[in-house]
Amino acid sequence: MDTARTNEIEQHKRTQHYEVLREMGDCYTSVGDYAQAQRCYEKAASLGPDEPGPYVGLGVAALQKDQLDDAEIAFRVACRLDGNCAKAYTGLAMVAQQRRDFQQAFDFYMKSLELDTDNISALLGLFQVSCEMGSFAKVTHYLEVYLEMHPGDTSVMFALAALYLKDGRAAQARNTLLNLLALAPTNQDAANLLEEVEHDLAVAK
Amino acid sequence: MIANSCNLRRDLVTGKGSALPSEREARRGPLVTVLVPTFNRPGYLAQALASVVHQSYRNLQILVVNDGGEDVSGVVRSFNEPRIDFIDRKENRGKPYSLNEALARARGKYVAYLDDDDVYYPHHVELLVETLEKATDCGVAYSDLYKTYCRVLPDGHRQVLSKQVEISRDFDRFLMLYFNHVLHVSLMHRRDLLEKTGRYNEALNILVDWDMTRRLAFFCDFCHVPVMTGEFYSPVGPSDRISFQRRKDSQEYLRNVLTIRTTRPAQPWSKLDDLSVILLVDRLDERLAETMLRIWRYTFYPYKLFLPLSLAEKARLNIQMPNVVHVPVDSQSSPAQRVDMALQQANGGYVAVLPAGFPVEEMWVENPLYALINSRDCEGYFIEAASAQSWAAVLRRCDLRRSRTAHPHLSVEASLAATGIRLRHPREEELPFQFDEILRRAKLAQADGDWMRAARLFEQMAQKHQNELWMRTMSARAYFEGGNHAEAGRLSHDVNQRRPTVDTLLLEAKICRERKDFRAALRLLERAEQCLGGLPAATTRQPDFCST
Repeated sequence: MDTARTNEIEQHKRTQHYEVLREMGDCYTSVGDYAQAQRCYEKAASLGPDEPGPYVGLGVAALQKDQLDDAEIAFRVACRLDGNCAKAYTGLAMVAQQRRDFQQAFDFYMKSLELDTDNISALLGLFQVSCEMGSFAKVTHYLEVYLEMHPGDTSVMFALAALYLKDGRAAQARNTLLNLLALAPTNQDAANLLEEVEHDLAVAK
Repeated sequence: MIANSCNLRRDLVTGKGSALPSEREARRGPLVTVLVPTFNRPGYLAQALASVVHQSYRNLQILVVNDGGEDVSGVVRSFNEPRIDFIDRKENRGKPYSLNEALARARGKYVAYLDDDDVYYPHHVELLVETLEKATDCGVAYSDLYKTYCRVLPDGHRQVLSKQVEISRDFDRFLMLYFNHVLHVSLMHRRDLLEKTGRYNEALNILVDWDMTRRLAFFCDFCHVPVMTGEFYSPVGPSDRISFQRRKDSQEYLRNVLTIRTTRPAQPWSKLDDLSVILLVDRLDERLAETMLRIWRYTFYPYKLFLPLSLAEKARLNIQMPNVVHVPVDSQSSPAQRVDMALQQANGGYVAVLPAGFPVEEMWVENPLYALINSRDCEGYFIEAASAQSWAAVLRRCDLRRSRTAHPHLSVEASLAATGIRLRHPREEELPFQFDEILRRAKLAQADGDWMRAARLFEQMAQKHQNELWMRTMSARAYFEGGNHAEAGRLSHDVNQRRPTVDTLLLEAKICRERKDFRAALRLLERAEQCLGGLPAATTRQPDFCST
């Protein structure tokens, strides 16, 4: 008997209202209504005071309104409630990135990806920060891991191809771009980059 | 109706527009008496009373009975409501006494009930009155209620954690005899039926509601209206409910259950046929005592136990048990002669015959009896464990009498055979509680994580058995957990068109969100949140059916 699942069903009896409010918060965030999202997350937090989810939501809403201090506080509360909350670390990374503290942003993105390699926001954030810092070694690894799990993600494919090229791995860059264009033939950025790669390969010969 | 409900809610919040309706408006429709017994819950009583006072249906007599608890006269007076009749008793006498005291003053054509910590939605009374006025073959109508799980905060406020529809069951008389499946707060009944059922049993201290509901089932059909019309509260953590505390005492619980199951209202019963159990005794010994006690312990269908014994044997018998009829016989009488003597006194439609020492377990007589009640081609059924050496069966009294009259010198078995009455064991599909058996299997599948199997079983029940909305809701949930979100979305959408609940609205919203239809998700979630905040989730159409 799946006791864990039975316990989850019992737990739902206590968390349904919390779930409704958290879902509302997430939906309002998705449509850009951050004031309403904040209202919902605050209510959710009062019902689930030990849950990190509402604080992550509050942090995201604050971030969208450029309230970096509030965002940082919310994400830190989420981390205290759950030391393995990948989304909270991503949030802290975004705050640091906005403050142009790229090293700290890098560290937080890495922490997030260690907890959840599937976190696309952390992945792309890591890529952006790496571009700022000019250091790509770890980014490449996580992009490859992500792509193994999501082979059709053309954004990640493009980022990876660019990193390969920067790293002098033109052949790998070419293969990645060809795969990308097979999936998205009209992707002009990819086409332009491929042209650059082909040129580099020709020169190298 | 829903618009009126919203206006009433707004008025409740703003305090405006609470003027009494005109006399003519107040008199429209038959008078309904709402009984509100209360004991030591003044804070919640105010909420409960407000929900009655602000019903869309206005022709009410509201009887509040303080059962010797804290002073609530201030709460009652604060409503300034002439429809409230307040009985303020200083001594605590228990719920059944309070209900009887209130019923003595009731004048309504119909009676409804509300516990002091529960609430009606604004259209509860109106819906049930409409149903009873239309479905005149039903004496009871009942709706669905949310079980509201809450956390009680230090100031006494109840913070709502969830609202669940734990049961939404169409009427099943056989099940009602076994145990209650209709919440008392959800029902309304004709007051004149109390002349047949009798009043509340003051010897009971738990399961008081079921006792009355069970007795009502002897005399009328119940109409289930699958609409959410109120809620009852279940605080998370230790319960202060008296009934909850008393259920912990298993002996006391059993005493109450057996009292209820052996209660026989005065006949005639328009909806149930009586059962006469004839227990054949060859000697007074432990086996007889054991058999009698087990019949008492396990039988839930209403019966009388006929004991054909000589006077000398009866004098030596030392068992106090309800519903026992001594049938004086000659000590030399054969088993067949003892059955004949008992038949002369038995007046129920069904007869069960068994010997002392026969293994009596749960459902021992109800299984073959249910098969017999619903059979078109079989005139008698063996009781499980019956054998050539230990004959036991359930038959219609008229068939048994016919065979005994025709062949009085034969044994009972032989006389039945000679009359052409064939007996057999019931097949599995003839047994009662088929729905509950499949439900049990579906819940087991859920517990094992086999969601798709559970979903299919719920759908099977929705299609072939009653309780369609409840089962489709369960099926939608199971499909969602099993990963078939398309089917979950279709089912939850369908249920939300007819009877939306917080769970089904949340489920459909999650699926909309997956599809990135955030606006649709928000519309559903707003309705769910409205419901969690105290307003009913509006249906798109008025209910125009009920199921019996």
